[in-house]
This record gives sequence, C-alpha cells and structure tokens, in this order.
Amino acid sequence: MSIMQYNGGSTIAMVGKDCVAIACDLRLGNQALGISSNFEKIFAMTERTYIGLPGLATDVTTLHEQLRYRLNMYTIKEERTMEPETFIHLVSSTLYEKRWGPYFIEPVLAGLQRMPGGSFRPFIASTDLIGCINFAKDFVVAGTASEKLFGVAEGLWEPDLAPEDLFETISQTLLNAVDRDAYSGWGAVVYVITEDKVIKRTLKGRMD
Amino acid sequence: MPDGSYERPQQRQFNPYSENGGTILAIAGADFSVIAGDTRQSEGYSIQTRYAPKVFRLTERAVLAVNGFAADGNMFVKKVKQRLEWYRHAHAKDMPLRAIARLIQTMLYAQRFFPYYVYNILGGIEEDGTGAVYSFDPVGSYEREACRAAGAAQSLVQPFLDNQIYFKNQTPAPGASHPTHLPLPDVLSIVIDSFTSATERHIEVGDGLEIYVVLAKGRSTQELASIGGLQELSTRAEGDRMFVIRRDLKKD
Amino acid sequence: MNSFADRFATTGTAAELRRIKEYVADDEDVSDSMWGSEAGFGTMAHGAPDFMVPSVPDPAAFLRLHTDDHADPSCRIKIKHGTTTLAFRYKGGVIVAVDSRATAGSYVASGTVKKVIEINPYLLGTMAGGAADCQYWETYLGMQCRLHELRNHERISVAAASKYLSNLVYSYKGMGLSMGTMICGWDKTGPAIFYVDSDGTRLKGDLFSVGSGSTFAYGVLDQGYHWDLTDEEAQELGRRSIYAAGHRDAFSGNTINLYHVKEQGWQFIGNYDVSEMHYNGPTGTQGYGYSVRVEGRSSANPPV
Repeated sequence: MSIMQYNGGSTIAMVGKDCVAIACDLRLGNQALGISSNFEKIFAMTERTYIGLPGLATDVTTLHEQLRYRLNMYTIKEERTMEPETFIHLVSSTLYEKRWGPYFIEPVLAGLQRMPGGSFRPFIASTDLIGCINFAKDFVVAGTASEKLFGVAEGLWEPDLAPEDLFETISQTLLNAVDRDAYSGWGAVVYVITEDKVIKRTLKGRMD
Repeated sequence: MPDGSYERPQQRQFNPYSENGGTILAIAGADFSVIAGDTRQSEGYSIQTRYAPKVFRLTERAVLAVNGFAADGNMFVKKVKQRLEWYRHAHAKDMPLRAIARLIQTMLYAQRFFPYYVYNILGGIEEDGTGAVYSFDPVGSYEREACRAAGAAQSLVQPFLDNQIYFKNQTPAPGASHPTHLPLPDVLSIVIDSFTSATERHIEVGDGLEIYVVLAKGRSTQELASIGGLQELSTRAEGDRMFVIRRDLKKD
Repeated sequence: MNSFADRFATTGTAAELRRIKEYVADDEDVSDSMWGSEAGFGTMAHGAPDFMVPSVPDPAAFLRLHTDDHADPSCRIKIKHGTTTLAFRYKGGVIVAVDSRATAGSYVASGTVKKVIEINPYLLGTMAGGAADCQYWETYLGMQCRLHELRNHERISVAAASKYLSNLVYSYKGMGLSMGTMICGWDKTGPAIFYVDSDGTRLKGDLFSVGSGSTFAYGVLDQGYHWDLTDEEAQELGRRSIYAAGHRDAFSGNTINLYHVKEQGWQFIGNYDVSEMHYNGPTGTQGYGYSVRVEGRSSANPPV
C-alpha cells in the first residue's frame, strides 16, 4: 500500500469564465478506517489564491505551514501579495528542496492572476510530489480518486462556464468521482473564486 | 561456465498472461440494449493493432463484450459460441439471455484454478422483451445491472455513467423524478462521450469504436435512422433487431 | 521446488487434482449434458464438477501469483474484496444483513452486489471473500439440497447443508478458494446459523459477522443483542450494525440488504441506502449519523 493512499483524500480545480473553482473531499482515514469527516485539504493562501493539498495528512499540515511562512516572508519583503503563477513556483521549489525525501503531497492550485491592466485571469496548476508543475487550461486533479476525477471531468467540463455553472460542474465531478473511490468522500467543500468574491460551500456527500 | 554448464541452478517462470488494454461498456434500456467497445489492442506502450474487435454477436438478441487478455478473450468467445451452437442443434432455438449468463458463469468457473484473464459484459434482450446487461468477473461471479464499464478506463467511465445514467448525486426538482430508463438517442450520445473522454485521458483507449444496439421485437428503428456508420446485423426483419455503429476515435 | 518428478508424482495437490480430473472426465471431453439445456451445471447432477488446472508443479502457487492482490497489488486478475455481513439468531428467527459494496484495490467496482444468496426458500447463504466462489458453490449447494429433498422426501437440515458445503470446500483446501459464509435457515430444530469458511472451519452459533467491516458491526451488534428482541428491534439492530460498518469501513457500504428467516422460510425485508440511513434513517425522521444526531447541540456542531 502506497503512502499516498494512507490517509486518502482528493482535490480538483477547474477554470470557468472569469472565475476558477477548487474543491476537496473531507475524509481523513487510517487506511480502511475512517477517522474524520471534517479534514479540509484546501487553504486560502492569498485573497485570490487557494491551494489544495491532498496526500499524507501529516504533510498537509507541515507543507501548509511551510508555504504560509514563505508567502508571509515574500509579502513582508516585497510589500505586495503574491500572484498565483508566482506561488506555484514557490510550491514547486519548496517541494523540490525535498527531492530525496519528499512531502507526500500533490498540490492543486486555483487562483485569479492580476493582469497589468488590473483585470484578472483565471489560473490553475498542479504539481507532482517533487514539484513538477502542470499548467493546465481546463482542470487539474490529484489524490486517491484522481483517475475517476479525470474521467468525470473530461465528460462534464466545458469552456467558459459561469460561476454557478462551474460550481455545479465541479461539485458533480467531485461527488461522483469520490463515490467510486474507497479512500475519498465523507463530505466535500467547494470554493468558487470570482473577481469580487469567494463563495465557499460545504456539500452533503455520501457517508460510506 | 566455459564448458556450457551453469554455475547456479537456473529458474524460469511460466507467465501465460498479458494485458491488452481497451475498454468496454454496456447500458440497458427499457426495450433495448447498447454494448460498446473500442478497437485498439495494445501491450505496454505499443499498439499491436488499431482494429481488434472486443464486442461479438452471440445470437439474434445477445452480444458479448470481452476485455483483458485478448488471447483468452478470443478463445472464450469461441467456446461460448460453440456451446450456443450445440444448444441450437439440441433445442432448435437460441439460448435465452439469462441462460447464456449462467452458462458463462459455469464456463469461467471451470477455469477457477487457471482463470481466463477476461472481464465479460453480456448485453441483449431478455425473454420478456426488456433490455439487460450482465457483468462478470474473471472467475464467473455475475450480476444483472443497468449499466457497466470494464477494462483499462473503467474507473474513468463508470463514475461518469453513475452520474449520467443513474443520476447519482443529482436531486430532481420538487415534484419531478428521474427517468428509470433513458431513451436510445440519449444513451448513444452518453456512450460516445464516454469513449471520447476515455480516449483523451487513457493511452490504451482509442482508434475505433464499435457500438452494438439490440432492439426488442416490434420496437421502432426510427431513432437510429439519422445515425452515421450504421449497419444492420439481424437476419430477420421480424423479431429482435441488431445493429452496429462504427465510429472513429482519436488515434494518438 | 521445480522438479521434473513433481509432474509425475502420485502425491501432492497437483496429483490429487489430476486424479479427480481423470476420475470425472477429461477437461475437453464433451459430456451429453453440455449439449442440453443444463448450462454446464448438468455435470453437477452426476458428480463433482471438474476444473482445468495449469500444468505446473504447484498450481496453487501459480494461482496465488496471478490473483493474490494482497501479496502483489499489481497482479493482473483482481478478485473483488471487502464486505460486511452479519447474521444472528433470536427468538423470532434469524436476521441476515449485508452491505452491497465490492472493491478492487481502492476502486469501488460495484455498489449493488447481492451478498445474500437465496439457496432455496428456507436457506440463505452470505457472501464474503471471493464473489464467484460463494455464488458458484452456494448455487451448487442449492442443487444438492434439492436432490436431498427428492431422495429423502424431507428438507435438508441447516446443519447438514452447511456440512455439505464445509466438506466440499475442505476438499479444495490449499487450492486458493476464498469464502467466509454464514448458512442460515430454519429446520426441525428451529432457527440455525452455521459459519463456514474456505479453511474448513464450521461453527454453530447465535451471532456472527464476517468481512473487513465485521469489527464495526460486532460493536453495535453486541451492544444491542439479546434473545428476546422483537422482530422490529431485531431488524433495526441488523440494519444499524451494517450501517456502522458501511460508515467507518472504506471497503463496505452503498446499500444494506436485510432478510428475516422465519419458520415459513426467509423473507426479504428491504434494501436501504447507507447514506440515506446516515442522514434520514429508515423512517426518514432520525438519521443514524453521529454528526446528524448532535447537530446544533454544541458550538462544535453548529446547525448547518
């Protein structure tokens, strides 16, 4: 049994029209035994940058704190917030530092990138556990249900979804994918990030 | 050693199994059944052929899809067809679908200690005229279902089907309810979407798609009229009708 | 171990199976029943079914190499695992409750498996371990029970039926069969449960639970069990126990199938969705779920 499946859990991020969404399940397990149904794997890093950290639960906490520390240092030194595209490189180098003893996490990132004109561009990315970045234009997935997420997302996702449609698409993708995965599920959380607000919703999921 | 003898005892292993990729899928409607499979056959990262059928007509109203190890699959289909022919000679009629399902169980279980590495899905029309799908594991446990995906991309396709066929995680509007059986055109577009999605995200799926459609006796064929690449396989116009739809999938 | 002599040895599992095969019929031999409508089971009425065995010195090791996903997760032939099943005896008969999930690795292969096998109108068998082994041999057991009825003009006892199965699987011991089953029924002695597994164990008892989620089921079952349960209480206990396992165990869940064995034979009580039980319960008024029951009762569990 892989260490990546020890605690279970999955995350997905999707691009919409002038918005992005990121969602995760709420299960924390010890192999087959379910322990908690309120283990959130998505963290707000800046106002418009959210990161999902599925993988080994101990590393979820550690990596989150490490990233928060480095982000704060950047904010203090530069006196500006970090943009998502910059942040994913910070994530990548943080992970690659531990090339030979990695954090067992495959981060998924969703955010709105501030453009020179002041407008925002949807941005998503994911990396593997040693920091190889995947810049996708449509959706990114990670966790124990990643295969299932790929399948459903490929079938449901379409370009230029409005925030409410994007919410429905990402929710349906996540819920149906985790129902076919023994190690994910037990509820879900969805964030829809738009220019002026971020909506967080907790979903009722199957509890088995 | 120089004299041709070995320094240590040599051990060799007999490995009769291989994995040839691909995916199969079947959906039962109220009075029809759809059984589909891609036509790519691969081993590791190599494509052996772009056209190797995985779906086979058994009788006028039964279709068998096989996935896993192609050599085992082809041999198994051959033997099932042989048994069905014997049945025809003895009884002067085709074996009913639920009997074929039980036959397949016993044939698979006879190989319990040397299994056929094959996942089977049987689709067709029951004696009562309803569409049916039976799915099997390699050693013969089986179950009648409304829809099932198997093979390399089963974990990509099945949750999508749960959502689109069974309406899982969808709450109907107040006062409304989800249909128990979908109409044929909806089923066909879900099947095609499933395979294009699987082709996109799985390297072992692609090249071609064969969709078998079995319609219960007396059912209108109107909904198939506008479908491209359609070919009729039934020998009689009365009774159950069988069609195959052949389509291209991406070849990369 | 790979000795040439093994192939021609007259002792050991390989030789044993060779002997069975020769005794029954050749593997490729076409018996009369294969032509007819008996769908292969025809051979059973005349003798033990025969199996094709690979020509290797140790067929059991061969099978294990290709099918045992515990030892080697990358093995090709995935036999489905994971289950919670339970049965208990009380004054009103036997309650049999099972989940319906089948998993292959972490993939939930099916959520609609029938893990209660209806052997005949008076006998039920439960399914844990290899799905095909349970389905096939319990169907076979059903045929043998019918033959017993025809021969003796009397229904077979649960003890006899379970012993037939136990002896049968014991004859294949070491060959890789995997089943943990409870044979439940009502005979002249009243309600009866026998636990039978592929190791050859056969136990008579009042209360059993089998499968990966059995510990969770036992927790609820032991706490609520007593002999004088009413029918409603007993059914609720069975349902609640499987729910507990479906909730906590990753490899159990989806739906609950509930059966009640009475003097007149078994009765199917119902199919219940585990998630529906969590949120709303069997009557739709009170969910089983902990989080549902404590909702709004403390600041840690605020109303949604």
